[in-house]
Amino acid sequence: MVDFFQNTIDGVMIGSSYGLLALGFTVIFGVMRRLNLSYGPSIMIGGYLGTVLYLNHGAGPLVVAGAVVLGAAIAGVYVERLCFAPMKAGAGIASMVSSFAIWMQLEQAAILVLPRHTYPFPPLATGATLEFGPFFVRIDHLIMLVCALGLAAAVQVTLYRTRFGLALRAIIGHPVAAHLVGINVRRAMLLAFAAASAIGGVAGFLVLAVDQQVTPMFGMWATLKGLIAMMIGGLGSVPGAVVGGLLLGVIETHSQWYFGPQFRDLIAYVVLFAFLVARPGGLFGRAPSPDITTPQKA
Amino acid sequence: MLDLQAVSKHFGGVRAVDGVDLTVARGQILGLIGPNGSGKSTIVNLICGLFPLTSGRIVYNGADIADLPPHARVTMGIARTFQNIRLFGQLTVWQNLWVAQNSSEQRKQNFLKRWLGGSRSAREEIDRTLEFFDLAHKRDELAGNLAFGEQRRLEFARALSAKPALLLLDEPAAGMNAEEIDQLDGRIRRMRQDGITVLLIEHHVELVMSVADRIAVLNFGQKIAEGTPAAVQANPVVREAYLGTAAAA
Repeated sequence: MVDFFQNTIDGVMIGSSYGLLALGFTVIFGVMRRLNLSYGPSIMIGGYLGTVLYLNHGAGPLVVAGAVVLGAAIAGVYVERLCFAPMKAGAGIASMVSSFAIWMQLEQAAILVLPRHTYPFPPLATGATLEFGPFFVRIDHLIMLVCALGLAAAVQVTLYRTRFGLALRAIIGHPVAAHLVGINVRRAMLLAFAAASAIGGVAGFLVLAVDQQVTPMFGMWATLKGLIAMMIGGLGSVPGAVVGGLLLGVIETHSQWYFGPQFRDLIAYVVLFAFLVARPGGLFGRAPSPDITTPQKA
Repeated sequence: MLDLQAVSKHFGGVRAVDGVDLTVARGQILGLIGPNGSGKSTIVNLICGLFPLTSGRIVYNGADIADLPPHARVTMGIARTFQNIRLFGQLTVWQNLWVAQNSSEQRKQNFLKRWLGGSRSAREEIDRTLEFFDLAHKRDELAGNLAFGEQRRLEFARALSAKPALLLLDEPAAGMNAEEIDQLDGRIRRMRQDGITVLLIEHHVELVMSVADRIAVLNFGQKIAEGTPAAVQANPVVREAYLGTAAAA
């Protein structure tokens, strides 16, 4: 029984990193109805920037964190300019395919520039743990959970209570009308992309600090985990992103405990498949509407 | 205030608007009428920047605005309503007006204040506008849940939110009953009192004749007449092209 609870706690902690990744995805895909496959690779670029500062200049954790977030945001802006801004409203598929191309580009660029593939990443609170009776919690995991909950609250308030968030939701409802009531649609989209990638950067920094290494494959990993967590939780739902992430984490740790590590991802994908079949909108979301593919009428 | 000079818009081979000159004087209500497909809505779309011109110039307060994006034109004081309602259905009535506060003056507000809740004067402006359109009791309802007549009023209110100097009304009376048209008539007159210049595109001839200072008539993308309501009504070309068919129907 102690094992079961300890595994659940570990799952929640690991899941909070998935929740953070899903949060950035939710802002881009759930809210703006755009699938950005370069989301993870953008974060990976931020991770490399952080590790370079750490290795070559001995930067501390705060500077590294800032560098990862900033690097991810800049890479996100780059992706938005190339893959999303030039596409007409409704050309969601073209945007997605071009974001796949940029994914490959960023990954190859990382391999070319830093050929050693695996680089160390500075840890945060080196493996320190807190004890609660029979249970252990790693401090860096706890920081991750707090960040996930805090950022989710911030995103929720921004989307539903601030003028910027309302303008974003207005754009999704009626892009043309939003433009014609004076909202600078292109700038709002760019800002949303930068913010989403920056949230991904926070997730990236925390995960990399736990892993203590960064590889070019981190981008794919981040895109996949974020996407799965978002789909389980619910498209476009901020609480759904976090809950989906936590659930994915719990499912993974329990699968690993009962069936072994080789079954961990297999079972996670089975759960994703079950959700897609039985509840395509996820736990909290609406079923995806066809408006990603059908052009908006002028 | 607004000067269209030899404005044309062709869609492929279709000359939706063909060499139209049109002047809207400050403080005036200019009615723009014409049969279906005569290019009225296209002109509104050109003025607000929805599509680029094929040729010609659009001069607003002395500056050619033909190359500016739509949101920049709103900032300069040009706002519009839509013939088929386009509210932000997921936002409340109040929020619909809030996101539309985009005049250059409103944009100068303190950034954080504007982001987080709007200044007190901005909030009071919204409340006043809702009061004027008899929507104050609906302020926290989602716009998508309003009745049709309320949506029409909100659409009008949202256009005023950016404090326009020039208001483009695209068929504001569509789908309204006689009583609602009467209220609309009063509200458009009120715009003139408040110093707002209005370009009114409308099918409902009585409404246009009642409120407009001048009327321009379009047919097949060209302006066929312009003058006072009485003069336009008496013009035989107009009677044949437009009022004649209406009378026959």
